[in-house]
Amino acid sequence: MDTIFNSTEKNARGIPAAPFVAEVEEFVKDPNDFDLVFSKFQDRLSMYKYMQESKGSTVKQLRVRIPDIEHTLQVCETLQRHHDLSADEDDNEMEVHYQLNDTLYTKATVDTKDAKVGLWLGADVMLEYPVDEAIVLLQERHKAAQKGLETALEDVEFLRENITTMEVNCARLYNWDVERRKALREAEEGTKNLAI
Amino acid sequence: MELLPEGKKNTVQVTLADQKKINEFSKLIMRKDVCEADLAQQRQEKEYLEDVSLEIELIDEDEKVQYKIGELFVFLKQSEVVEQLEKDGEVIDEKIENLESRETEINERLATLKSDLYAKFGDNINLER
Repeated sequence: MDTIFNSTEKNARGIPAAPFVAEVEEFVKDPNDFDLVFSKFQDRLSMYKYMQESKGSTVKQLRVRIPDIEHTLQVCETLQRHHDLSADEDDNEMEVHYQLNDTLYTKATVDTKDAKVGLWLGADVMLEYPVDEAIVLLQERHKAAQKGLETALEDVEFLRENITTMEVNCARLYNWDVERRKALREAEEGTKNLAI
Repeated sequence: MELLPEGKKNTVQVTLADQKKINEFSKLIMRKDVCEADLAQQRQEKEYLEDVSLEIELIDEDEKVQYKIGELFVFLKQSEVVEQLEKDGEVIDEKIENLESRETEINERLATLKSDLYAKFGDNINLER
């Protein structure tokens, strides 16, 4: 019975594709096995749904992270540009208002000559980089995050397709069983009438 | 979800090819939703930029204005901000264009799938929302 989903088709991340039920008899060889087969199908369907949920949250996270990286990148590029523009001058200072608290901004002057920035690498680690190196690093991260988002979206779509297939499959199995029971009942009644 | 009328049977067979079409349809609908949300957001952003571009003409060229970059307000000369605004505007225009062409593509494919599926299943399938 475990071989029921022996499809070799997988997507790039190894998520197995749902089988398509053309004829219910292909899957339910013995009507007594119906409940088992049906529950297998439902298990698989809920697995897909669970996976879709988790991939969906990855997508959400990345949709937050990508603009974050973009903003950091913009600030670094601004520092760099200011530095380049004022390279010949004595004064390399740039004035900014930065957020001190939720509703409180205050003024700061940033010396853009050989400026360094601290990048949050995660896992409670922040590392200081020269601005130009930070820009390269952030660009790489941005690319990686974008790629990750594309992959996650691909998976979500793949899962959605399989969920649709599985839902149709389950409906078909269920209807087949209803028909079978009805036929059975009619046959039984037929024999009863014969006896009288 | 609607139930079939009493006594009426659903006799149309769903083949693998049909299933694939149904799957693609449901996938594209999902993609379209994402695309539309993105597009609305970018259009909103574009509107903001246009408003700012108009307002900023009223400020003297050498005067400093605070331009928001990320979470910072940077003091920039009006002329620099105008330049920056133009650049930002171009970036957004490109994004909007990309999204729009994607949306048209999706809509065309959806229309084909819809007519195929309706031709086969008639009233037995509902592809509207």
